[in-house]
Amino acid sequence: MTAQSRWMSCATLVALALVVPPLGAQETARLLPEQFTLTGPEARQTLVLESFSGERANGQLADGVAYSSSDPAVVTIEDGVAIPLANGTSTITATSGDRSASTAVTVTAMDQPFAWSFRNHVESVLSKASCNTGACHGALAGKKGFKLSLGAFDPQSDYFYITRQARARRVVLSDPGRSLVLTKPTGAVPHKGGLRFRTDSYEYRVLSEWIAAGAHGPQDDDPRLERLEILPGATVLAAGAKQQLIVRAHFTDGHSEDVTRWARFTSSNESVAQVDDLGLVSVSGHGEAAIKAWYLSQNVMATLSVGYEHDVDPALFANAPNSNFIDELVLAKLRDLNIPPSPPASDAEFLRRAYLDTIGLLPTVDETRAFLADSSTDKRDRLIDDLLGRPEFVDYWSYKWSDLLLVNSEKLQPAAMWSYHQWIRNRVAANTPWDEFARQIVTATGSTLENGAANFFVLHQDPPDVAETVSVAFLGMSINCAKCHNHPLEKWTNDQYYGMANLFARVRSKEASDAGNRVVYAVTSGEWVQPRTGKPQPPCPLDGQPLAFDAEADRRGPLADWLTSPENPYFSRAITNRVWANFFGVGLVEAVDDLRLTNPPSNAELFAAATDYLVEHHYDLKALMRVILQSATYARSSKPLETNVEDTRFYSRYYPRRMMAEVLLDALSQVSGANTEFKDYAPGTRAIQLPDVSVDSYFLKTFGRPVRGITCECERTAQPSMVQVLHISNGDTVNQKLSAKGNRIEQMLAADFANARMIEEAYLAALCRFPTGAERARLSAALDEAAAGDRREAIEDLYWSILSSKEFLFNH
Amino acid sequence: MLHLSGRGQAHTCDGISRRDFLQVGTLGAIGLSLPDLLAAQAQGAVAKDHDEKSVIMIFNLGAPSQLDTFDMKPDAPVEIRGPFKPIDTNVPGIQISEILPLHAKHADKFSLVRSCYHTGAAVHDTGHQMMQTGRLFTGGINTPHVGCALAFLRGRKSDLPAHVVLPEPMGPTGGNLPHGQDAGFLGKAHDPFALMADPSQENFKVPDLLPPPEIGEVRLARRRKLRSIVEETVNNFEASDNARLLDSNFEAAFRMMTSEQARAAFDLSKEPTAVRERYGMNRFGQCCLLSRRLIEAGVRFVTVNTFLTVFNEITWDIHGSNPFTSIEGMKNIVAPMYDQAYSALLEDLHQRGMLANTLVCNLAEFGRTPRVNPAGGRDHWPQCWTIYFAGGGVQGGRVVGRSDPIGGVPAERPIDPSEVVATIYRSLGLDLETQLPGPQGRPFPLVDSGKHEIHELF
Repeated sequence: MTAQSRWMSCATLVALALVVPPLGAQETARLLPEQFTLTGPEARQTLVLESFSGERANGQLADGVAYSSSDPAVVTIEDGVAIPLANGTSTITATSGDRSASTAVTVTAMDQPFAWSFRNHVESVLSKASCNTGACHGALAGKKGFKLSLGAFDPQSDYFYITRQARARRVVLSDPGRSLVLTKPTGAVPHKGGLRFRTDSYEYRVLSEWIAAGAHGPQDDDPRLERLEILPGATVLAAGAKQQLIVRAHFTDGHSEDVTRWARFTSSNESVAQVDDLGLVSVSGHGEAAIKAWYLSQNVMATLSVGYEHDVDPALFANAPNSNFIDELVLAKLRDLNIPPSPPASDAEFLRRAYLDTIGLLPTVDETRAFLADSSTDKRDRLIDDLLGRPEFVDYWSYKWSDLLLVNSEKLQPAAMWSYHQWIRNRVAANTPWDEFARQIVTATGSTLENGAANFFVLHQDPPDVAETVSVAFLGMSINCAKCHNHPLEKWTNDQYYGMANLFARVRSKEASDAGNRVVYAVTSGEWVQPRTGKPQPPCPLDGQPLAFDAEADRRGPLADWLTSPENPYFSRAITNRVWANFFGVGLVEAVDDLRLTNPPSNAELFAAATDYLVEHHYDLKALMRVILQSATYARSSKPLETNVEDTRFYSRYYPRRMMAEVLLDALSQVSGANTEFKDYAPGTRAIQLPDVSVDSYFLKTFGRPVRGITCECERTAQPSMVQVLHISNGDTVNQKLSAKGNRIEQMLAADFANARMIEEAYLAALCRFPTGAERARLSAALDEAAAGDRREAIEDLYWSILSSKEFLFNH
Repeated sequence: MLHLSGRGQAHTCDGISRRDFLQVGTLGAIGLSLPDLLAAQAQGAVAKDHDEKSVIMIFNLGAPSQLDTFDMKPDAPVEIRGPFKPIDTNVPGIQISEILPLHAKHADKFSLVRSCYHTGAAVHDTGHQMMQTGRLFTGGINTPHVGCALAFLRGRKSDLPAHVVLPEPMGPTGGNLPHGQDAGFLGKAHDPFALMADPSQENFKVPDLLPPPEIGEVRLARRRKLRSIVEETVNNFEASDNARLLDSNFEAAFRMMTSEQARAAFDLSKEPTAVRERYGMNRFGQCCLLSRRLIEAGVRFVTVNTFLTVFNEITWDIHGSNPFTSIEGMKNIVAPMYDQAYSALLEDLHQRGMLANTLVCNLAEFGRTPRVNPAGGRDHWPQCWTIYFAGGGVQGGRVVGRSDPIGGVPAERPIDPSEVVATIYRSLGLDLETQLPGPQGRPFPLVDSGKHEIHELF
């Protein structure tokens, strides 16, 4: 097989294409890439004839495509691949049935000498053949004495390993065919890693020609990869469709190459779409998937939307309630995917949900009665404003940020823990803008008892640990992978990791005289060494500007400037996503700690708009909360339609979820009228008011309270389990509350309510709604069966049945 | 209870498969009660001949050093062979470490596989995924634990859950990744029941298994009745996975609560003191004893986690420095406890005639570096380690595979995690090509095609 025909296989594989029917916009065809240059005799370009509806790609036209070149002496097309013949320009036209499109090609450098580049070609071959993966020679210790840098992030070392180690047997200049880098992967000599490519392959040709030409190493003036481009970037496809993707690499010298052949592809959601080694996507399900293409340490994403085949009246989307930009963008996404929204929630449902999500508390019976009886049209808006101003708001959100910042008396002295917690409470109470909040944390100095924020640098002292924690807490992303090698799923390099870590190399803390007190301060010298080079990495906030080594000002100042700059997209996205996930149960990016290039949001336009909204409102979190609470999306019923039941990410309805551990315990206390007492805390202290997680509580542990060991939302679990069910049913938490002296049941009995009223009060307290006629009747009948002396027990059992029900345990 | 999910697939509390459901479903799904389904199951949805097969999976979280336990290299330099000496076992030609003297008396019952390896990252969590599910999690798809796949395919065979984890699920081990210890894409309804208690504690009981004494039968019946009324009018949660899960949990919990047999199985006080002491009066020892009682009472699969985390606990994770474990900590604390409990379990199963039908497999997430590190410990090493199997059709006294002279890589018969999982499925009598319903209906074979059990063991 010739090298050329290997190239062609990309295009010829596309046998079948289903095109999504037009949605009203003009149907056109485009030939991708729409304009390109072929640089040098080895350049090739895969062509894809794509159908577009307006600006949106909606399927590849692959059926009997015929190509023509306006100047066949300049460019010829073989099996859908453009091949350069001479310098010049040409127009390529592709035709499929009655649709056709053209693209303009420029051919250059055909008269220049050509040589394979170690940095850009040899490393590409080694990467595509998986030689440098963690399972093979990319492992930290290498494999069988041969090591390569993971994903080719260190070409200098790779060149050394390949040409200088193993007594130079890996590369034999005098007889390239005897080089181990050719005999091993082709199986000519035994290779643990099996056959990686064949002697008639393109890979073999690149390596052998590179050796034959003298096996030159990476040069300082090699063009470097600047960015990747993937085509089509976003496509609406039908189930069963296939789509060839094109990956183009743009280099610093201005030239670009088709690197589809060398890219490594993965699908984020294999139940929607799979992708093969050559970038051919096969759609197998409905929803959205992102295809990641990796090439030379960079990643690029293409998104695929596959609409459901429900019979939905388009007017449903147009007529759905629409209060603000959130609804606009949610409905647009739902329309694309053909998922109809559920109808609006009732007042009672909205009330309960807004209380739980905003202040972590159920409304009282009186509050519920008043809200349901209120007939004014602005009552929801007034409720929202009221909730955002309640003191319980401070309890709830302080708890959330204490989770995030690991307020923890296992690791901090009690006085310091309290100081840290109180610092957070004061900021939440003052509604301190989030950028200011973050700045005060990352630049904290002084006594940890006077400035609680300084405890952040007591909990995290090792500079890499500080860098990683700042990234998770405030950027919502883990940079840990880049500690040992370039991040395989992000753009962060190993150098950037150590540049970030070195920002914290001069932070110190020392014991103060009073118990629990430490003093945090910055010194003016000291560096953190990048272990790969053995030298300090210039201090630099990830993709910000490096600082001078000899600058004496606290390096955390420039870090805070970069971190909280409105131009820093990661910072505002991270907090927007955390707030969003609190109200909707599902983040725009899931999980909320896993924002990364290769983990795209479920609705990119919405994510961008919500983030912009927060930035425009100067990081006022309450402003973001208000616009969320006011949206029709938030106020949708949790009841699924047959046609949106599969949706778990696009907000066609409110997703029910079990209450979080602390909120659930407080709700049980409130409904039963019997508090849980916490050792060493004042009676009446609610679980959400606890400053840390040291209070021993089987209930909280079983229902998923985090241990605050590492900054990660994954520490908290919301899954129901049989152990939880056993505890609710039989455990001492609910049962003791129901039998407690002076509890709500006792008060109801003292008021001498009839069973019907008992039922109504219980429903209002626990479920925030009136019982239906049928519920009232059937429950009354069941209670009436109880013997007279058994009344209290019967009412306790009524409460038990409500408190163990899904409608109570879930926020919905 | 039976629930039809939006995907048109049937889920039952007992994990009866779609195929089983279709058999009974033609009778009309509406109104079909749990007893009906169980009856259908009893009538042949479950192949009787395999129904006696069970598994105890001892997961050595932290990962023992192959060079200091089952794959000694006495001829290697001291920085490789480490501080311990090999001893003979009751099988000529098989030697193991002096720190496991009681194992040495039972080598005729178990067989070693000295050439296990995996190719994932050298963090605990990935190894947990692969060894318990046969696959590394990719593309957002979490594959099920072997015991959960079994629970899904076979359902329960008594009032006890099909799959129990003792004493608790694995906690954090540094990677912040899933450990492969639940039902993954099969859905939470097929998750194992986790004990969440230490059976070596005085007054040990399953937390909250019984209602408080003041709730007698009359009140219990009333509670159920009231609850069914409260739940009945609200069905808008049915679509939520978590809500459906809660239902199935209630059903399963109620069965355990009301079953004398189930309660008795967890009651270690029914064991003579001598037996309890033979296993060792510690968490792991009593978990091993409990696993035998649960298998006897009808649990199909018991996962025993030897440890729950690698931090601030003396475990197999012998990096040599805090917060991990030293090589002496392994010798003086971990090995004696482990040796005593495992040998007791084998003896006990053997004496009760249960060993032939109960596979006991001792797994770990990886091995440890052949070279002793500067702290005197050994670090993570997925390239080669030893696992072992007993019972359930496995012939004892064998050694499968061989490592190179420093225990660094398999020299013969490399075995990857999917083959380990295939071995467990095969011992249970499951067809490896059985398809599980994956996300959006994508079929998933039990193991990747082309993967087979370690046939030399049988």
